[in-house]
This record gives sequence, C-alpha cells and structure tokens, in this order.
Amino acid sequence: MQADSVAGKSLTLVISIMCFLACLTAGTVYLINKSASAWLRNIATEVTVQIEPAERMEDTDSLAKAVKEYVERESGIVSARVLSISESSSLLEPWLGVNSKLLATQLPRLIAVQLHPRISPDLRDLEARLGAHFPRVAIDDHRQWQDQIRTVTHSFALGGIAILFLVGAATTAIIISATYSAMASNHEIVEVLNFVGATDRFIAHEFEKHFLRLGVRAGVVGAASAMAVFSVMPLLVEFLGSGTLTNAELKRFIGNGMLDSYGYIVLLMIVIIITLLCVLTSRFGVFRILHNQL
Amino acid sequence: MIRLENVTLGYGEGTVILQDINFHLRPGSFHFLTGPSGSGKTTLMRLMFLSIEPTDGKIKIFDREVKRIRATARARLRRRIGIVFQDFRLLDHLTTWQNVALPLRVNGEKVSRYKADVTDMLTWVGLGNRMHQYPPFLSGGEKQRAAIARAVIHQPELLLADEPTGSVDPKMAHRLLRLFVELNRFGTSVVIATHDHQLIQHYQDMCEHKAPRLELHEGHVHIV
Repeated sequence: MQADSVAGKSLTLVISIMCFLACLTAGTVYLINKSASAWLRNIATEVTVQIEPAERMEDTDSLAKAVKEYVERESGIVSARVLSISESSSLLEPWLGVNSKLLATQLPRLIAVQLHPRISPDLRDLEARLGAHFPRVAIDDHRQWQDQIRTVTHSFALGGIAILFLVGAATTAIIISATYSAMASNHEIVEVLNFVGATDRFIAHEFEKHFLRLGVRAGVVGAASAMAVFSVMPLLVEFLGSGTLTNAELKRFIGNGMLDSYGYIVLLMIVIIITLLCVLTSRFGVFRILHNQL
Repeated sequence: MIRLENVTLGYGEGTVILQDINFHLRPGSFHFLTGPSGSGKTTLMRLMFLSIEPTDGKIKIFDREVKRIRATARARLRRRIGIVFQDFRLLDHLTTWQNVALPLRVNGEKVSRYKADVTDMLTWVGLGNRMHQYPPFLSGGEKQRAAIARAVIHQPELLLADEPTGSVDPKMAHRLLRLFVELNRFGTSVVIATHDHQLIQHYQDMCEHKAPRLELHEGHVHIV
C-alpha cells in the first residue's frame, strides 16, 4: 500500500487520531497524578488545629494564641500560625462567595501547623493532651482528604489505562484490517516475491517497513497535536469563560496544564508503543495470511 | 533434479488437465516442453515451480518430495529455480534494474556484491539504457528480456521458462536461446515451454544435437 494513496492517507489519519487520544489520556492522567502527588506531599507535612469559637471573639483569639504556643513547644513541629478571620473567609470564598467573611466568625479558628518532614510527632497523643489542657480543640491531620485524593487519583489512572487499552485494541483492529487489505491489493507482488524465493519473514519485513513509517508519521502527528492541546489548555479554559472557581479547581486538578519533561517522555512512550503496535500487528497479520494461503 | 510420478491435476468437478504424468529430468539436462495451446504446458510448469500441488501423484524436486516441504524450506528451494513467466510478472513499482536484482536481494546478498552483475546482465540482454525505467514504460519484448534476466541472474540450478521468446524478434530469440544454452553448459537444467519450432530447430543447429522434447497431448506427456 502506498503511503500517499487515499487509503494510505486515511489510515495515517486514523492512527494519528488514535495516537492523539492516547497521548491526551496519558498526559491528563500524568498531570492529575503529578498534581495529586504534590498536594499529598504538602498536606502530609501539615495539620490543622481547629478551635470551636467561643461566645466572645476575644476569648477565641486568646485560646488560639495559647494553643499555638503550646503546639510550638512540641518536638517535630516546625511552625504554627493562627489563620486570621480574613484568611479563613478567603478559603471559603470560592464556595460561599464574598459574604463568607460574616460566616467565618462562626466557624472554627484554624491554626496551620507545619510538621517536620522526618520527625513527625504522635498526633493522637498531641490531640489528647490538647484536649486535656484546652476546651473545644481538635486536630485535623487531613487523612480523610489524603484517602479521598488517592481514591480519585487511582480512579482516574485506572480510567486512563482502560482508555489506553481501548485505543490500543482499536489501533490493532485497524492495522489488522489494513494489513489484510494491503495483502489483497498487493497479491501479485507477494506472489512474485514467493516465486523468487522470498520467505514469509522477508515479505513480513517489507510490510513492517511500510507500517513502521506509517506508525512513526502518525505517532508524531498525534503526539504533536496533543502537545499543542496541553500548551493552550489554560488559555482555552479561560477563553471559554470559566469562573474563578473553575480555574481554581482545574489548577488543583491538573496544575497549570503544561507538561514537564517527564510528561513529554510519557508522550514519546505512547508514540513508541503505537509504532510498535503497528509494526508487530502487521508482522503477525502477514504471517497469519501467508500461513493460511498454503 | 525433477521427478514426477503418476501426477494428475484436475480442477473443479472432473476436469482433468494433466493425467498420470511420469518423467524424470536429470541435472544438467535441456528440454523443450511442447504442445498445442491449452494443452497444459503452463500448468505443468506451475507444478514444477511449486506454485500448485497435484491432485494425485508425487513430485520430487532436488530429491525432496514437494508435499512434505515446509514454507521456509520451499522458499529456499525456489531460490535454486529460475522462472520466466509467460506474462513476465515484473513488479511495476520497481525499476528494471531492481526487478532483475530481486532474487539476489531476497537471498540477502549485499547490493555492492551484485550491482555490477545486474548491470552487466541488463546490458547483455540489450536493456543497458533502460535499466532505470519502470516496467509500465517498457515494450513487450523489453519486459520479456527483463523477466529472463531476473530468472537467470542468480545462476539457478533449474531454469523454467514459459514461452520466453514469445514477444521478441527472431534475432533476439536466438540471442536469448544462446544465453540458456550457456547456462546449461555451466550446469543449469533448462526446461523451455514453447511452440516456436524455429527456436527448437535453432537449438539443434547451435548444439548439433536435438534436445529431448516433453510433448503434452490431451493431458499426457510423451518424451520425444
């Protein structure tokens, strides 16, 4: 099959689209995983002490200050900082809007505690001691968040792998069909090659060379298109008129949407896999057809 | 070299093309295969170059029974045979030079080793100035000469030529026959299917003896 023929061009286009979808999926899973890992790393060394508000705000403030000083004396604590009312309200702003400042006074006061990355204190013991010394105090170590993030990340990774498998299966089916069609349309050539003593391996190799060129060409086009999408992703979201909340959520989910060098290696791997799939599928297809012709 | 024992070939329901064929071609022999059009000359040639298998009987080539030869061994066996097809069977996407070099390329030989041989062969058959042309741009006679060059380039042990001079003028036919005779002198067994009696006569003039003829008639072979 000539690469420049209509059938050859159509096949290249279809494999390019397959490679594009595979790269898009792999790239997105990579971004989510990278973003989640960074998030998990951050929150693993951070806990929040929550203090239920008292009747009077001044009481809550003095309690928060005392708790902060107590926590700072503990070993394994790098720093502790009481979040101001405005800081707490800004955390709620994406969900509750600008009126959240009023509500923040009714919510627990928060102390952001930075843990030592290697010498972590016994948080259960610390919570028990805080409870014995101070009223209405609790520690949130974000474990529930971490579990949820891991679950979501794993779900996306599994979904991504499933999509990659489907793309791989579709690509294989397309190449099998193209190999049969190429063998049929080049029947006379195959016959002459047989008559001059070509082995099945030689004939399969001739087809392999064709599908290798096709795989590389389609892979590069597909991967380059996916890279272009990743490059314009932040602009695209903004252009489509997303709000602050969407932007914040998207950033939390996939970071800035740009791939780093490892991300590009992932895309390169996809190109290699797609090319190998093209080459090996055509090879086994030719062997099978020639075997059946005997 | 080739032994056919009780070979029968039929198509469909009861149409028998060849019936109970028995002959033995010895190494270094030269045979003409003759018979009227439609007598089964091409079919017999196809049996001998392993393109088809007989309905019944046994074919042995190079002391190996054809039915028992596996695909890879069959391919290696074909490299010992040179074939000239009646319809040339040149590959249109390859140049004349590449077509002639095909058996050597298939055999895994390096271009540097056979480059000069292919060029010399093409010059010898009068295609020195046409070697970079593609087959669709060659005349019938040129195609035939290219097909012959391809069949003999690797100096096969057995040459099977189906009407090899059908599309060339008598002068070129004699030149090609001389090529076949030369190959035969170097040990190649030759079978030429033809109904060109002038060619057979010319062989007799050239070699001062008659070549044995396998005459096909109503599905049977008679050695004359």
